[in-house]
Amino acid sequence: MAGPSVIAFVRAGLRLLTVQACFNHERMIGVGVGYATEPLLRALPDGVGGDRYRAAMGRATQYFNAHPYMVGLAAGALARAEHDNVPGPQVERLRTALVSPLGALGDRLVWAGTLPVASAVGLALSTDTRAGLGAVAMLGVYNVPHLVLRVWGLLAGWRHGTRVGRALANPLLHAALRVVGPAAALAIGFAIPLVAAHLVGGFDLTIWTGSAAGIALAVGVLRWLAPTLGAVRLGLLAAAVVALGSAW
Amino acid sequence: MSGVTLAVLVSWGVVTGVDLVSFLQAMVARPLVAATVAGAILGDPGAGVLVGMGLELFALEVLPVGGARYPDYGPAATAASVVAAGGGSEALGLGVVVGLAVAHLGEWTVVVLRRRNTLRVREAATGLDAGDLHTIQRVQLGGIARDAVRALALTLGGIGLAMAVRRWPPVQGRAALLLLAVLVGIGLATAAMNGKRLAQGRSGAAWLAVGVTGGIAWLALR
Repeated sequence: MAGPSVIAFVRAGLRLLTVQACFNHERMIGVGVGYATEPLLRALPDGVGGDRYRAAMGRATQYFNAHPYMVGLAAGALARAEHDNVPGPQVERLRTALVSPLGALGDRLVWAGTLPVASAVGLALSTDTRAGLGAVAMLGVYNVPHLVLRVWGLLAGWRHGTRVGRALANPLLHAALRVVGPAAALAIGFAIPLVAAHLVGGFDLTIWTGSAAGIALAVGVLRWLAPTLGAVRLGLLAAAVVALGSAW
Repeated sequence: MSGVTLAVLVSWGVVTGVDLVSFLQAMVARPLVAATVAGAILGDPGAGVLVGMGLELFALEVLPVGGARYPDYGPAATAASVVAAGGGSEALGLGVVVGLAVAHLGEWTVVVLRRRNTLRVREAATGLDAGDLHTIQRVQLGGIARDAVRALALTLGGIGLAMAVRRWPPVQGRAALLLLAVLVGIGLATAAMNGKRLAQGRSGAAWLAVGVTGGIAWLALR
């Protein structure tokens, strides 16, 4: 089998960076998956424009949704299945089967793990006098695993094809899943007193009382009274009350 | 603000807006990063960091799973920095308020964008189903262009609001400091409540408590 070239993998990897560009309520990120997979399908027999290429591309743009960083795993596996001449309906079943695990895995690993850890590290280091240290640290802590995950996913998907479930059983992945949640809670906890001291620590008791009132308000409203209100709307409402009180 | 500064600032706002979903997702759209850079562009990186920290606490609430709606903090943090830069402590609370308002508006613009994308995909369904590469490219790259326009409009609107707030501040003096304090309190509680739920089961509260204790110890010992 003449597989895709290294250039094709680089192209697919770069296109994966745009996988959510046309996020929509009909096919979700399906069009993005098709766009990212396309360079890997060019090496199919009959080449670009051939029957197999067009059929594979038609399948590749159908409904798909998963965590964007894990989509490479699907793109690689689906492209490999097309190269292995797996029947179309089976490719479609593989596609459907990957939605939930890739979504759940990525959400826990990245959105509920790496991102809050990076955010907390950035917040803690922002209390340093060197402006920008926190932002640089946040980008570094976040993007190293981010890019590793994207590259690994594409290559592992291609290597395993229809047996892509083996890649999801990677012990490193499961070790990371066990660690990131507690690490995120720990890191956020550590950052909270540092941020509080940095932003309002230098003021007097009246201002501290204002912060205590803000904490009580948020806990009372967002935990018990109106959990769906959200912190942004609560913040805006509180600001309106302070402004009206000040004017009055 | 000079024309060059404004142009660079608007460009930065667009970059952060597109980073949210459409391209890269390297998290330059996070308020801590977006506001720090915007502050540097405006010549006051320190104010950018402080207002970014305030907004970052709120952003910890966001869990962008599935097709969830969430605020757009990139252009918002850029606008917040315009309020905060050179304004001292009194301007920080107002900066956070402007940031929250623009982020909230940004959430709505993302919903509109997704509806537009849906219409575009429906129009191109025949070409997409036939596996036509040109159709796929047009739809996909058109999505980035539409998002860039959305981010541009949000950034311009946000900077306009920020300039108005700088000119006619709704609160000043002690009230402005109180505003900052209340918002920081809400942000801290938000960060804590969401930090707690990141670890499965009841261990989240324990890990959070260990972290808070460590943070307090660090403050006491340094």
